[in-house]
Amino acid sequence: MLLELDGISVSYGKVSAIRDISMGVPDGGIVTIIGANGAGKSTTLRAISGLEPLARGEIRFEGERINNLPADKVVARGIAHVPEGRRVFPDLSVEENLRTGAFLRRNAPEVEQDLERVFERFPRLRERRTQLAKTMSGGEQQMLAIGRALMARPRLLLMDEPSMGLAPVIVEEIARIIEEINADGVPVVLVEQNAELALDLADHAYVLETGSVVLEGPAAELHDNEHVRAAYLGI
Amino acid sequence: MIELLAQTGLNALYAASYISLVAVGLVLIFGVMGVINFAHGELFMVGAYTVVALYADLQMPFLVAITFGLIFVGLLGLVMERSMFRPLRDNPLGGLVASIGFLMILQALASIGFGVRMEHIPPVTQEVIVFSEKVRLPLPRLFVMVAAVVLLGALWYFLRRTRFGWALRASAQDPEAAALQGISINQTARIAMFIGAGLAGVAGALTAPLVSVNPHMGHSVIVTAFIVIIVGGVGSLEGAVLASVVYAFVHTVVTTFWDGVIADIVGLSLMLLVLIVKPTGLFGTAERA
Repeated sequence: MLLELDGISVSYGKVSAIRDISMGVPDGGIVTIIGANGAGKSTTLRAISGLEPLARGEIRFEGERINNLPADKVVARGIAHVPEGRRVFPDLSVEENLRTGAFLRRNAPEVEQDLERVFERFPRLRERRTQLAKTMSGGEQQMLAIGRALMARPRLLLMDEPSMGLAPVIVEEIARIIEEINADGVPVVLVEQNAELALDLADHAYVLETGSVVLEGPAAELHDNEHVRAAYLGI
Repeated sequence: MIELLAQTGLNALYAASYISLVAVGLVLIFGVMGVINFAHGELFMVGAYTVVALYADLQMPFLVAITFGLIFVGLLGLVMERSMFRPLRDNPLGGLVASIGFLMILQALASIGFGVRMEHIPPVTQEVIVFSEKVRLPLPRLFVMVAAVVLLGALWYFLRRTRFGWALRASAQDPEAAALQGISINQTARIAMFIGAGLAGVAGALTAPLVSVNPHMGHSVIVTAFIVIIVGGVGSLEGAVLASVVYAFVHTVVTTFWDGVIADIVGLSLMLLVLIVKPTGLFGTAERA
């Protein structure tokens, strides 16, 4: 396993947000975490990235413990995170946003190469290269947030609700991009409220309810699971 | 009349120069660390005393004294970051209170070390650029203006064109998202604090020969800096510089034609007016204010 969560718990004050979650992310493929609003999906990703301290448990990446590291050191290990709500830097230009994603990288020619690659993947970002991020549409900002994460040349990509608040046609485009990125060899952990989309994309899925894993299995299997169909797919 | 206006303009540019150095540092610290550094005026004061100690007392060259002022006060900023603002990161009000305590410590140390008398520093040069009989610019004032332009230009270049400059701006706009790019909050806090404190220190050092140096001189400086920041828009570096120029012109003109107390009243009224008409300041956005 590339990433292992071993019985992790996170609390906000006295309120427990996630309890005793264990997961494995293989090297390759897409793992998704689905669940309702407030089930603890984002908290799980934030814990992996070092944004939330663990009350209990351990997180290992490439066999090494990372749950005692601050967020910037987790990035240095190779985990990039596309946060919920995109969180692009509003008053930085598109290009400056992308370059902050490569903040830790020292090899300038490689960074230029990757910038070119991001611009090929997202032609609209090239058109808006010098524009401030805050002047862009939601879909463009989501592409910028994904491009920024790719600029770190991650070994693992965490994505938190990439479809949130976007028009259906843009959601399709984002889905295609996630598949492409994964096909290029970057494993993805995808957190989604849009369970239909998530189960379509993913190889393996976890279902979170009130802070705990209640179901897990191959995505195709969960897609046919009665509970999942009733609670998340509305069928 | 035109000559009087020209002279007033020169005076205002001089005032704008050192005010903007102080205000920009304060904005930078607030932007990156989210803390209001009340001791900023005292950092200005310490910068002035480095010139008293090195230039007036030990007779070192003036340039050495102001360079030392920049570095020494910058290091003092690092001490503040490590000892107060980092432990109190999740508590901006605590950081503010701690900085008030630090201000008192600095004032007390200056009083113990140098006494409470006014220090008068021998002028660096008596030379004056004479434009006409009534329009004159003493060379030391020109020196402050040039230094401000050079330092602010260097800061602009750093923030716009370097990797750490982007990191600092990213950190100011969204600290958590910046951490997710591998930008260390401690590191950006240190850089902001060194630059912000250093600019206050160098402003104090540059103006020391032109004012009376005393342990309480930081007070009027910080009040002015706060007015300027509020007028310019909290969190906007460009706003702080432009507001410094506006404020300096208004204050200098009123001082010249009426008197200094009325000028203070007008300055504060200007701030109130801006707060009523555009609460985010002339160049500010509401996000971080």
